[in-house]
Amino acid sequence: MTTCTGCSLLCEDIELVLKTGAISEAKNLCRKGQGHFQALFTERTKPMIDGKEVTLDQAIAKAAEILKNARTPLLYGWSNSTLEAQTVGINLAKKIGAFIDDTSSFCEGLLMERILNGKIPTCTLDDVRNFADTSVFWGTDPSNSHPRHLSRFSYYPRGEKRQKSYEEERTCVVVDVRKSATAHLCSNYYFRVPPDGDAEFLESILTVLDGKIPKTGDKKRLIELGTILKKTEFGVIFPGPGMIYSMQDKMDLFEELVARLNEITTFKVIPMVGHYNMRGFNQLMLGQTGFINSVSFRGGAAGAATTHGPEQGVALAAKSSDAALIIGSDPLSALPFGTARALAHIPLIAIDPRRSLTTDAAQVVIPSALSGLEAGGTALRMDGTRISFEPITESERLSDEQILTRIMEAI
Amino acid sequence: MSVELKIVCFEDIFQYESGEKSRFSDEYRQLSAVILLDKQDMASLGVKDGDKVLVENEISKIVVAAKTTDDEPHAGLAFMINSVWSNQLLRDDLCNASVPRFKGITARVAPSQEEVTQISEIVQRLRA
Ligand code: SF4
Repeated sequence: MTTCTGCSLLCEDIELVLKTGAISEAKNLCRKGQGHFQALFTERTKPMIDGKEVTLDQAIAKAAEILKNARTPLLYGWSNSTLEAQTVGINLAKKIGAFIDDTSSFCEGLLMERILNGKIPTCTLDDVRNFADTSVFWGTDPSNSHPRHLSRFSYYPRGEKRQKSYEEERTCVVVDVRKSATAHLCSNYYFRVPPDGDAEFLESILTVLDGKIPKTGDKKRLIELGTILKKTEFGVIFPGPGMIYSMQDKMDLFEELVARLNEITTFKVIPMVGHYNMRGFNQLMLGQTGFINSVSFRGGAAGAATTHGPEQGVALAAKSSDAALIIGSDPLSALPFGTARALAHIPLIAIDPRRSLTTDAAQVVIPSALSGLEAGGTALRMDGTRISFEPITESERLSDEQILTRIMEAI
Repeated sequence: MSVELKIVCFEDIFQYESGEKSRFSDEYRQLSAVILLDKQDMASLGVKDGDKVLVENEISKIVVAAKTTDDEPHAGLAFMINSVWSNQLLRDDLCNASVPRFKGITARVAPSQEEVTQISEIVQRLRA
């Protein structure tokens, strides 16, 4: 049995048979996970400096030299690394006085901060499987992003109190700008919102919960939604990036909705975290700095030197940094043009198991082992549950943790 | 003929799987460099499925294949799968809450005779 690190569900029931150069058998692995593990066999990275193959020791030494000489280094990525690697990464950032940020500053951070600070009630996915009768997928399409969410936790399983499951006891509501695969599946309760219309939709739900008629939207359907929510025994809202990008600075309104629902019944919130250990990084950072992401340790390791804010987030830090270490992430592909371009213009150190736009542009490439298959460790599932995993195949490649430790020792 | 559209990005499991195998493959480009348009917008542009369109805004421009959605009518709104192609059009200025406006792409779309933008061209632009 192995753990899939393809998304933040961290499925622990994967059975794999590997043969040279391929997965010959896989049980319980979804298509996304299958793609993730294919990375073992395709376009693996080699140690490189300036496009030339070098030894691992040379690549690590060069990375240490770049970071040591940088005035404003940025350490970015982290959501695809274990807690052990993240811990070393935070220590490295402190040691060299770097900016440190992860992918959450571009998406789920706004919500995760409120969850981790206890402002919004949450629960585990096991609670969802055992007790939830209503799941609201808001701005997310788990059928594509977290393919086993519905089958393992939120819709199909026969949980402790939900033996009649989706046939009779579970309702799945989808709020989205487009009729996604999940919306097709739950089409009776699909609510379409216009782009940037989530705040207005949310206000209409609040109006309906107060027993009033909403001013905008399909009144009949909104009242129907209000009735479903009020009749719920144990409800869970799963907000995804679509909802968060649309709400942006109006997240207080979402907090208000959850509080209002909890005056009527029980409602919890679990953010649909994308990468497998984004939550781990956020939780570690919160414990060590009081902030979940976007921190600068410039000026030293002393707590007083820690600063946090948009200037310390990757979008702005990429433009004020003179070198960056990127780990387990491909920002040149995944971030907006301006940020990607800024990163492409500074010396980059890329630690990655496989080739990407970022490794192609990097001055130093350090190949790493693939978490879950070639390296073990610990991570936090999207609901905060701690999951430990062992490697299932031997690899001569070092884990992220080992590489970071060696870089730190060399500085 | 061109139309001004709002573009919303989304995730697709088949494209994701392909990207995990290689970000540089033809298959990944074919799955990513696509814009999904409403029937009415396809008609206004005079394009059919597979025709190339130029998508341009103040940030950058890309050529991608047009495809009709089977969704309910949504004229004026287009969809693209999250990828390096859609990210070329994305602003990185922040809202008050310090997150980028990922869903807020507006762009002008017009028929094009050019080939779909290659990933190598994108890399060159990023490094230029
Ligand atoms: S749902 Fe996520 S963790 Fe589970 S097998 Fe699929 S990709 Fe892996």
